[in-house]
This record gives sequence, C-alpha cells and structure tokens, in this order.
Amino acid sequence: MALIRMLDVSHLTVLLFFVGLYGALTQRNIIKTVISVGVMDIAAISFFMLANYPDDGKPPIAGTPVEMMADPVPQALMITAIVIGVSVTAMCLAMAMRVAYRYDTSDWDILIWRNR
Amino acid sequence: MTALPTIPLHLLALLPVTVAAFGFFLPRRAFQLLGLLTTAVVAFFALALFVEVRWGAEVVELLAGWEDRIAIKLVADGLSAPLVLLTALFMLGTFLFSTRASYMDNTFLFLIMLLETAIIAAFLSGDIFNIYVLFELGMLTIAILIMYKKDKQSVYDGIFYLMMNFIAMAFMLLGIGYLYRTTGVLDLFALHTRIGELSDPRSVVVPYAFIMTAVALKAALMPLFGWLPRAHGAPSAPSIVSAILSGVQVKFGVYLLVRIQWVFSPAIDAAPFFAVVGFVTAVVGFLLAIAQKDIKLILAYHTVSQVGLIVLGLNLGPEVAYWGGLMHIVNHALFKGLLFLTAGIIIEEYGTRYYNEIRGVFRRMPIVGIAALAGVLGITGAPFFNGSISKYFIQRGMQGNLGELGMFIINFGTLLSFVKYSTILFGKPSTDAPADRDPFVGGVSLTFGLACLAGGIFGGAAIALLFGQEYSIAGAYDAEKIIAFVATLVLGVLSYRFIVERIGDFLESVRTYRFNFNQVTMFLSAFFVSLLAYAYITV
Repeated sequence: MALIRMLDVSHLTVLLFFVGLYGALTQRNIIKTVISVGVMDIAAISFFMLANYPDDGKPPIAGTPVEMMADPVPQALMITAIVIGVSVTAMCLAMAMRVAYRYDTSDWDILIWRNR
Repeated sequence: MTALPTIPLHLLALLPVTVAAFGFFLPRRAFQLLGLLTTAVVAFFALALFVEVRWGAEVVELLAGWEDRIAIKLVADGLSAPLVLLTALFMLGTFLFSTRASYMDNTFLFLIMLLETAIIAAFLSGDIFNIYVLFELGMLTIAILIMYKKDKQSVYDGIFYLMMNFIAMAFMLLGIGYLYRTTGVLDLFALHTRIGELSDPRSVVVPYAFIMTAVALKAALMPLFGWLPRAHGAPSAPSIVSAILSGVQVKFGVYLLVRIQWVFSPAIDAAPFFAVVGFVTAVVGFLLAIAQKDIKLILAYHTVSQVGLIVLGLNLGPEVAYWGGLMHIVNHALFKGLLFLTAGIIIEEYGTRYYNEIRGVFRRMPIVGIAALAGVLGITGAPFFNGSISKYFIQRGMQGNLGELGMFIINFGTLLSFVKYSTILFGKPSTDAPADRDPFVGGVSLTFGLACLAGGIFGGAAIALLFGQEYSIAGAYDAEKIIAFVATLVLGVLSYRFIVERIGDFLESVRTYRFNFNQVTMFLSAFFVSLLAYAYITV
C-alpha cells in the first residue's frame, strides 16, 4: 500500500509509455503497432503536461490567480505536440491502408517476404 | 564585418516555405523559376549570415519580444552557421541540377522547399522543443517524398521509415518532458547552465538516454540505421531527394548529437560510448554496402558508414579529430551529393539500377563519368581530394596501433566497396548514343567534382575559412600517405577480384535478409537501455 500511495499520475504515464513500447515490440499487425506508438505518444504528452503541476493547480487562463496557476508552458507546448501526434498517426494509418491494398496483408513478417 | 546585408534569422528560415505556399498556385514553369530564385536568395543570405558570424559575433534572435531563457531562441554560431551555408548552397545546386526534370511538379517543389525550411530552421533553433517540432515536420515531408512515385516497394519503405521515426520521436518527447520537469527550461544554452548547477547529475541521466536514443536514430547509428537505406536509396524517390537526404538531412542528426552532448556535458560524458558506436557503424555500413547490387543502395549504406566515421571523429577526444569530423560533414555532403546526383542520371540513362548491368559510363557519358570518378576519389580519401584531408585529421586524433588499425579497416572497406561501384564506369557500353541532357546537369556535377578537388588541395584553407581552425595539412601529402593509399587500392582491387566476387551466395543472403519492425523496435530499446546503463555507471 505504501508503494501505491507513492505513485502519482505521472508515474502512471511512464508506465503507459512502456505498455505502448511493449505493443510495438510484440504486435505484428501494422494497425496494432500504429495504436501502440500512438499510446506511447499520448503517454509522453500526458507526462509533459503534468510537469511542475502543483497539487491543486488551476488552468492558466484569464481570471486564475497567478499563485494557483499550473505551469502554462507545458500546456501550450503540448497543444502543438497533440496536433503533431494526430497528423502523424493519420499519415501512418493512410499509409497502412495503402500497404494493405498493395500487398494484401498488414503483417510485418509477411510484408518482408512479399518484398523479396 | 557587415559588408553584406543580413535578414532576421526567422525570415531566413521561413522564406522557402512562405514562397512555396504562394508558388503552389502558380503554373508549373513559373513555380520552378520562383523556387530556383528563392533558393538563390536563401543561399545569398546564408552566405551573409556566415560572414557575419565568422568574422563578427554570433547572431541571437529572441522571438516575440520575450526575454532570454523564456523566449524561443534562434541562434547562428560557429557551429550552425557553416552548416546553414552548406544546406543553402547544396539546395541551390540540386535545384539547378533538376530545373528541367520531369518530376519537378508543384507538389514536389512544395515538399522540397518545405524540407529546406525544416533543415535550416532546425540548424538555427536554440530551443529543444522547437527542434522536436522541426524533426516531425522533416519526417512527414520525407515520408511523402520517399513514396513519391507510389510504387509497391516504396509504400513499405515509407511506412517503415515513418513508424520508426514516430517511435523515436515519442522517446524524445518523453525525454524533453523529463528534462523540463528537472530543470524548468527548454532553451539549449540555459539547459547547459542549469545542468551544471544540479546537485545530483544522475537526475538527468534518464532524459539524456531518452533524447539521445532519438538523436542517434536520426543520425543513423548502429543499430538504428535500418530506415536510412530504405529512405535514401528508395527506388521511387528522384535522385535529388536521395542527395538532399544523404548530403544534408542526415547531418542534422549528427549536428544534434554534438549539440545535445554539449548541453549535457557538465553532467554526462558519453563520448567513449559514441566513439565505439561510431566505429561499429562505420564497419557495418561498408560491409552491408559491399553486399548490395543496386547502385543507389551501395551509396546509401555508404552514408551509414561515413556517418559512423564522422561520429567517431567527433567523439575521439582530441581537438584535431573533432574538427576533422566537422570538416567531414561538409566533405561528405559534397561527394555523396555528387555521387547520388550522377547515380540518378546513370540509372535514368541505362534504365537499370543494378551495378552488373551498367558498363562504360566513361564512354557513354564522359562528363557524368568524370564527375562520378571525382566523387569516388573523394569518398575513398584519395590524395588531393577532400576526403583525404578530413580523414587525415580524424586519423591524427587516433593514438596508438589499435586506432590506426581501426582507421585502416574503415579506409580499406570504403575502397573495397567503391571498387565494386567503379566497375560501372569502365568497360564498353552496349550503345554509344547518349540521350540529350540539360547542360545544367553536367555543369552542376562538374562543379561538385571540382569542389571535391579544391577541398583537398586547399584543405587547410577550407577548415580555416569554415571553422576558423588552423591546422597544417602537410602530413596528408607525405609520400608514405600516398603510397599507403595506392597499396590499399591495390589490396582492395585484389580482394574484390579474389574474395568478394567468389562469395556471391553469402552476399546474396546478407543482402536479402531483412529485420521486421518488431526486431527494429527491439534494437531501439536495447540501444536505449545500454546508453542508460553506460551513462548511469559513468556519472
């Protein structure tokens, strides 16, 4: 129980990152690897969002007293990172679709064989 | 000294993409001319910037009027200004080379100019999150360029490239988050100071490993180079894409390797680790290059090998090897760009990509052949060509027999694989009638070739001009150096004739062996864990 109390949300995001990495290491289906890497990306973004977050921080928008604000820099940066993550995932999925059409499979191992 | 007019750094970086966004709606011919004009203007301002940084002071620009350490910063200093100049001139050369090429349509031009912005802005960026964003921009652009002609193989190459880099970028983002949490800044220079002030240097080991894994993948170090030959040698990408990727884009990873190592230098020194990794990369790169049949893939694997050599030089320790490594970045851009451009012409002319089906380039296309030979002499480090100078500097940094032996192995391997490559130049072609070529094609190739020669003859002046370092190159022209080169060449030809040609089956199995995506992710994780362990033990 002491261990569980020590954990906070940012530890969970690191755990989620490695869950995603596990997926990328083990899944042979392209769509599943895209999902896994997407999970890694989201985990990294959540981790970044929680950087320097005070215990009862408020969103850094107009009207919030300065001393209660959460650090605004990560929030601003992560909007960019989320947009990038969405577009790269979309691009990966579009290419996965093309691969599936051309090769008639979405398994990394079979793809190697069909490429020889 | 401010003889030349300068423009703000952000305008220099944004100029190509802004013009491209408007030019996209012009007719194709007008867009081509506009693109050429823009790259010329960018090259001019990059030159002005270089002059100002080299003989004046470094240029720092804080965006949006915030104060230092809070603002997003753009910096041109002694390290980034020469590389910006190199990129701009290189882009100008490739644009001239392909002014009338059939693949230069509006989408392609837009992507190339977007890539130019991404590379230049990334060199100028002094903010680690900005670098992350520009990495992602470059990655998406390149992924589209790889599969530009949409044939079967290239779709696979494209998704493989994209997924590998996506994973690396997730590593980098987590690392940046960790670093921000520990230090509270994102500015590279402020990070350097803050890391020096940390009470426990071990607290930055984890972000260091995360960020450096991503950077090592971008620089295509062993064992993370799997994406590079697919991207740089992609059959469907026009050769100028390969030239840009191999000539300047991969150098950005190397540049960042130097920068980030400097940022973390108060706490962590992993130079020996990267020197060993660089050496292994150099050896594995040429071994795989020997096994290839496709001439573009031979060149692509060679980029891996040469990047390993650069990283080895940068991390050896002695000053002379460090500057030799930086000089080799410039030299490699020249001869590898030249080799890829000429390879593209040769493939177009002969209609095949396999080295054993191409013969007699000298007779059929004398100018292209001579230019390609200059590139080959440059990359193998022949005396009086630029490769010999930077390799000589790197070699001077290696003390003792073991280092000399390592350098000899790399030199020998480079020669051996280029003996294979050079077989396309000689012999009798099936037909003597070459197709009509744009005069710019031969002109640009010869200019690159002459630059290779000039970089060798005036090697000392070149390093003094670009980086302000005074080193004597007299030792590079000793009789024993020249004899050593000739002896290595003879040994290379003999081993090619009597060893390489007889183990075709073995090479075939090496050539066709492929790692799947999961295995490559495994390599990435293994690299991360070993870098983490190394940094943790040595701190």
